[in-house]
Amino acid sequence: MEVVNSPDTRIRATEYLSSIWGSRYFWFSLVRMDLRSRYRRSVLGIGWSLLQPLAMTCVLCFVFSTLFGVDVKSYGAYLLIGLSFWQFVTNCILQGCRAFQSAESYIRQQPQPMLIYPLRVVLASGFHFLLSLGISVLLVWTLIGFGNLPALPMILPILLLVFALGLSLAMIASVANVYFPDTQHLAEVGLSIVFYMTPVIYTKELLSQRKLDWLVDINPLANALELLRSPILFGELPNLWRLGVASGTIGIVCLFACALFFSRQRMLIFKL
Amino acid sequence: MAYIRLENASLTFRMQRLGGTALKDYVVKQLFRRSKNPPIEVRALQNINLNIDAGTRLGVVGHNGAGKSTFLKLLAGVYPVTSGRVVVNGRISSLFDINVGFEMESNGWENIEFRGLLQGETPKSIRAKAAEIAEFSELGDFLNGPIRHYSAGMLVRLAFSVATAVEPEILLVDESLSAGDLAFQSKAKKRIHQLCDKAELVVLVSHDLAAIQSLCNRAIWLDHGQLRMQGDPDEVVEAYHEFQTKKAAGQNEVEKLNGAKSGHEATQQLAIVRSSAPARGDASTDTSTFSCRKRYAA
Repeated sequence: MEVVNSPDTRIRATEYLSSIWGSRYFWFSLVRMDLRSRYRRSVLGIGWSLLQPLAMTCVLCFVFSTLFGVDVKSYGAYLLIGLSFWQFVTNCILQGCRAFQSAESYIRQQPQPMLIYPLRVVLASGFHFLLSLGISVLLVWTLIGFGNLPALPMILPILLLVFALGLSLAMIASVANVYFPDTQHLAEVGLSIVFYMTPVIYTKELLSQRKLDWLVDINPLANALELLRSPILFGELPNLWRLGVASGTIGIVCLFACALFFSRQRMLIFKL
Repeated sequence: MAYIRLENASLTFRMQRLGGTALKDYVVKQLFRRSKNPPIEVRALQNINLNIDAGTRLGVVGHNGAGKSTFLKLLAGVYPVTSGRVVVNGRISSLFDINVGFEMESNGWENIEFRGLLQGETPKSIRAKAAEIAEFSELGDFLNGPIRHYSAGMLVRLAFSVATAVEPEILLVDESLSAGDLAFQSKAKKRIHQLCDKAELVVLVSHDLAAIQSLCNRAIWLDHGQLRMQGDPDEVVEAYHEFQTKKAAGQNEVEKLNGAKSGHEATQQLAIVRSSAPARGDASTDTSTFSCRKRYAA
């Protein structure tokens, strides 16, 4: 098979995808190692990653129920989904910033499709996200009941959207951090601002009472979160309008990420 | 059949003097239009034209920084060309930088598997080779412990054993002929020779001119990123050797001359640079040195 290396070679999307598939054993073992090495020396093992959202949920539930008299039953699961999702997003962005730097020695040795490094980050944090999402479903079942069963399969295409969003964010973060080493620091600041603009610990209704619905509509993170919550918490299919807005905003992020990533990836090694 | 074609292949690095630019610096720079961190262009390889066909064992010679390793990485596909074309037909196995990229927390066996996967093996094929790799590395029970505890020499052995457990079509080798202690080195040398025999096409970068003469049937000489000479290994090595000795002799002469003439000027120059550097910061040091030299030359 002839491989041409020249400034004006255009790789077709199908070729790129098949080269990612071709190196699957390698990046899969990277993901596995990420998961394994994190728990190698801890007694709690996999529980560690769940500890953070669970503990936060307990604390916030306690505070909100005593101060504002919120119903713990529904709020607990609401919060857990929100916090797990937020942790997933944070991980994608902050660990995404280090995606190329931490893999530099592999990049300098063996040419691999560059996308596998942000992909590795998203898969590892996605694993934890799925675990805590599973716990949320169990929580809903024990506290509220199995009313959501018919709507649950809907969660699969929604998860696909969430995954696309996470990967896009990681792609943007990884490239940005190669060019601007202070990206990670700025991202931390930005994330804590967006956190309060997203209905993670408060409900969307609080915003609509103040005519701030548009804050949710333009925010791809809030959209994705709304989509996730409806089948798990309320056992209903997300309405078409929300689905459309969510796909639209996430699509924009995706397009931007791809444009940035694929215009830069060839020359990235010179900046490492 | 394996082959490599380079058509006018050039590679120019654009490097930043001080790592990357922070985003806030970038914004400031855009506002004030004055860069304190200008990119430096390094023309690592310039207009290389070369056809390497199957059966060739190509030796690459040249001084440090001539572009030998860059050349190898270009062939491997690690670096993109900035102009021209490189066409490679065949599966590439590369032996360079083999000592980095290990997972320190994992044990030897896991690293064998992991490195194998990086080299393009499947889990099945690397497991079949694992026993042979372990035997060649002579690490025995150490393989069960995390490689964090390995000595540098042990790590080199492991790295070499995994990296050479390949069936190469195109083999790219960089200076890895010296690995570990003496006994292992001779073993390693033999293994490299075997690999070269198995491969359809070999590119070998080495400072060991004798190794190039004995292993290769063709050689090129790279000088400041340019292809200075190509042909029979003996001729190329001889020409390169002659050039090196001449250069060394020439340098001695120049040093003698300089020492006799300009001891005083040199100290003065140094003093000026020292006094001006801290005030103006890192980037301005070069220009002040330059202007001083100019003044004293005139």
